[in-house]
Amino acid sequence: MLVNLDPNDARPLYLQIMDEVRRAIVVGTLKAEDPLPSVRELAGELVINPRTVSQAYQELEREGVIYVRRGQGTFVSPTAKRSAGERRSLALAVAKRALLEARRNGLSAEELVMSIQKLAAKEDE
Amino acid sequence: MNARTESFAVATHGLSMRYGKQTALDAVDLRVPEGAVYVLIGANGAGKSSAMKALLNLERADEGRAEVFGLDTIEDGPRVRAQVGYIPEAWEQAHSWLTCGQLIRHVAAHYPAWDQAYAAQLVEIFGVRPERKTATLSKGESRRLQFVLALAHRPPLLLLDEPADGLDPVVRNRTLAHLAEHLADTPTTVIISTHHVHEVESLADHVGVLDAGRLVAQLSRDDLRRTVRRYRVEVPEGWEAPLELRTPTLRRSRGGREMQWTLIGEEHDVTARLTAAGATVRDVTPLALEEAVLAFLSEEVAP
Repeated sequence: MLVNLDPNDARPLYLQIMDEVRRAIVVGTLKAEDPLPSVRELAGELVINPRTVSQAYQELEREGVIYVRRGQGTFVSPTAKRSAGERRSLALAVAKRALLEARRNGLSAEELVMSIQKLAAKEDE
Repeated sequence: MNARTESFAVATHGLSMRYGKQTALDAVDLRVPEGAVYVLIGANGAGKSSAMKALLNLERADEGRAEVFGLDTIEDGPRVRAQVGYIPEAWEQAHSWLTCGQLIRHVAAHYPAWDQAYAAQLVEIFGVRPERKTATLSKGESRRLQFVLALAHRPPLLLLDEPADGLDPVVRNRTLAHLAEHLADTPTTVIISTHHVHEVESLADHVGVLDAGRLVAQLSRDDLRRTVRRYRVEVPEGWEAPLELRTPTLRRSRGGREMQWTLIGEEHDVTARLTAAGATVRDVTPLALEEAVLAFLSEEVAP
């Protein structure tokens, strides 16, 4: 699993880690029963306080996305599939970023949506 | 005896320190939560090293007091020091005739909690060569040796004064990664002082900003991320900012009818204030730690 953290991102680091795990599940790079890196490994790799990684894992566990097997590590839940709900929330997050960028450029949501549809139509041709 | 300041690994109360006429610390109230990686940021001479030395009772404060794990740093100096791993900014070579291995054994004798097996592991990890004479070490090499000495007794508090100083970027990143792994194995509170924020940015989860001895900001990383943001607004021709918006303004610049501000506050409050003043908020961006910290330093405040 690849976790990328963006220092310019407004979200707290533990939320960014949670979103990266969810994203990996949605795109299929993490599948049910796949092991996650240990808190120690991920903290070392990202050079962050391990407590931040623990916080992210605990929240994900509470949401049922991952589970802990005592003495063996952390794994993706068998129920964590590429559910419609997960896809929808990922799509919303992407849309939110696009919308922010549009506003920054003084564009309306309608103009943005129309441009996306136009581009998509062109790709389909 | 004073009651322990709740759940803080380190707390100082009105700590002031002067060198002659020069103020090193001015009524500083540090609050470092247990388990935090607290980065103390400030220019050279802002008081970072003085604060650490006061915690170790290596220097006496002129006013105020400090607690480490609820222990008074003056009354309980030895007990405090036994719980601290310290990397000073400048390392005085007190035992320059010793080899690295001899120095490690010498320091080990002072700490009942010294973990021999872990020390050997750290020597390996940090690439310390035991047969080398300490006097011949480069700055980077002695930094790595100091990390071994500071971590091997698994102290509950680490005080790291400019720890990345003298390390090249590759070694620095590897060293901080080892530190992160150490924290995963050993519950530790860490105070890191630096004037190179970006070097330790990823590790920081609490931030204190010292400016000429005064603690001008102290907050969690998440609060900093949430409450210090850059606002890009469009304003009518000849628009002047209302007074109440000038006070929390940290930095601003203007280009045509667009203005950019770094403001402190909850985003919806700040946006509401700007909107009420007739400005149209176009963009709100969070800042990287270094930029956000700069905003608190007096030189950066617009006239």
